[in-house]
Amino acid sequence: MKVKYFAILRDITKKKEEDWPEPEATVGDLIRDLVVRYGHAFERWVMKDGDLWALVIILVNGHDVRNLKRFATALSPDDVVVIFPPMGGG
Amino acid sequence: MHGWIGKILRVDLSTGKITKEALDPVMARDYIGARGLGTKFMIDEVDPAVDPLSPQNKLIFVPGPLTGTYAPSGGRYNVVTKGPLTGAIAAANSGGTWGAAFKFAGYDALIFEGKAAKPVYLWIKDQAVELRDAQHMWGKNILGTSDAIRAETDDDAKIACIGKAGENLVLFAAIMNDLHRAAGRSGVGAVMGSKNLKAVAVVGTNGVTTADNAAFEKIVLQARDKIQKHPVGGTGLRLYGTDVLTNILNEVGGYPVKNFQDGYFPTADKLGGETLAKTLLKRPKGCFSCIISCGRVTKVTNKKYAGEGEGPEYESSWGFGGDCLIDNLDAVTKANYICNENGMDTITMAATIACAMELYEMGLITKAETGGLAVEWGNAEVMVELTRLTAMGEGFGKKLAVGSYRLAESYGHPELSMSVKKQEMPAYDSRAIQGIGLNFATANCGAAHVRGYTIAPEVLGTPMKVDKDAVDGKPALVIQFQNLTAALDSTGGCLFTTFGIGAPEYAGMLSALTGVEYTPEAFMNCGERIWNMERQFNLAAGLTAKDDALPPRLTKEPLKTGASKGSVSRVPEMLPVYYELRGWDANGVPTQAKLAALGLAQ
Repeated sequence: MKVKYFAILRDITKKKEEDWPEPEATVGDLIRDLVVRYGHAFERWVMKDGDLWALVIILVNGHDVRNLKRFATALSPDDVVVIFPPMGGG
Repeated sequence: MHGWIGKILRVDLSTGKITKEALDPVMARDYIGARGLGTKFMIDEVDPAVDPLSPQNKLIFVPGPLTGTYAPSGGRYNVVTKGPLTGAIAAANSGGTWGAAFKFAGYDALIFEGKAAKPVYLWIKDQAVELRDAQHMWGKNILGTSDAIRAETDDDAKIACIGKAGENLVLFAAIMNDLHRAAGRSGVGAVMGSKNLKAVAVVGTNGVTTADNAAFEKIVLQARDKIQKHPVGGTGLRLYGTDVLTNILNEVGGYPVKNFQDGYFPTADKLGGETLAKTLLKRPKGCFSCIISCGRVTKVTNKKYAGEGEGPEYESSWGFGGDCLIDNLDAVTKANYICNENGMDTITMAATIACAMELYEMGLITKAETGGLAVEWGNAEVMVELTRLTAMGEGFGKKLAVGSYRLAESYGHPELSMSVKKQEMPAYDSRAIQGIGLNFATANCGAAHVRGYTIAPEVLGTPMKVDKDAVDGKPALVIQFQNLTAALDSTGGCLFTTFGIGAPEYAGMLSALTGVEYTPEAFMNCGERIWNMERQFNLAAGLTAKDDALPPRLTKEPLKTGASKGSVSRVPEMLPVYYELRGWDANGVPTQAKLAALGLAQ
């Protein structure tokens, strides 16, 4: 699947996007594996107390997982997952 | 009084008479300041049917009680008047340092009435106030005007002024202060120009007193701590500015493209805050007492678009960018600089060019009219030139100076203006995000994101996440955000502090500062009162429920690509529920019971 990063997550991963080769059953599985790859700097912007941080925006094919099943949202190999740290503006 | 100074400055430009009046403490309590107090003066003193550019309209500069204090980001003021772009109540909000300096000079409001016989500026040094000749600076831009006035007054003078756009009565002219901050929307700068008023320069050497300083300090420190610990208020806005929104709006399919013909732009990332931070950004910048620093000090070195200044904000980046099918950030930033240097609202300028591009592509606008310019989608060079022409009042720019509605109407297609109440919508496609569309449709100043920013819950997930595509519950959500924002705007605080604090903190700060007890409920009640008062002004000005409508494109033409493909706005379903929850009748008129409950009954 394709994973895209934005804002400070680009600095942490040093990339805008990547093809993630591992099969991941859920968003939670993917995020935990990304934390293993990118370490605490990544974790502190996406997770809180072992769960998805409520302010983190993760879209699967454009749909926010907070309106789906959060970490339990199922993934397929051809999905596009985009991850934004908490952000605001206007 | 504490928080409030207790004094109003009134200037009759027709006679040159300057008076100082006491501020009514009950009025201050009920309407707070800034947007609320300014609108109360308009309701009490101006016939809503007035021609906005006539001497009978008034132009009111109003800080709030928190302005000039050390409350977080407590440095803002509003310019309240009847807007020439919209024919509706206008309350344009600006940061910088001008509002605090005016307050330090010893006033809660500055009311201009009438019209000067020749160009003048107002010079305020504490209690010394005089009108001075400005004929020699008429025609100067914002920097030239500010330099000229400082040379004549004081090196430390804070200046709010208009550029050539305001003088030429461009219907979306802004009033600029501190060179780069704008009271931007609805054409408040044209009202200033119509009065032959070039600038207001101020030096204030006094302060703002507090009723209970220990309590104020305690709650301010708590509020600051909450904002600084919030990842958005404390970190995100400083790093990337508001333009960081480009990619998220695009990824959810809510980034308007080509005059709202679609909601996804494949190359939007070239315009986003991440790109801005790595290319043009020199440093972040904050306003008076700011702990957020969303401002962008930038420089373009590309010779074609060279310049330096501040911005772009997200709305400006989108307008000159994706809405015109342009992904050249240098060109976008140059257009933004031209607007700041000459005093124009970036959103309306950009959206009017996007509308002109659509009319040109349809063959309705021709090269014969544009002086040979190819006003095509994606033509960055022409976009910048059209901005310059409008600022200078030259060529085809004169046609753009009336905004998109009047432009499109002149070609027989008013429906191609992406506006509500003739004010252009900002950078959110309401087909992809249902609540923000209802806010655009009902905002009293015409379409505006800063009246009820439901993007926070609908997209960003703060303070809680709601489904952006749902309509159930949205009218109540929009009303809550609109009321909170009306109250917050009236304090002199900054909307971005809501990425961290809300009504309880604002009520607490106001209570400790002023000595008037505001509960969170009373604070929200002030917001509802102000919202309904604005609505009363608009109804008396001749606006009706028909003006609470989005352009038909948004309810009839589904999005073609992106994550929200197939969606249309469902504002027509939500609007009757909104009216009912507001306590308004089916025609959008507040009931007598509602007005009586808010203390607004005649």
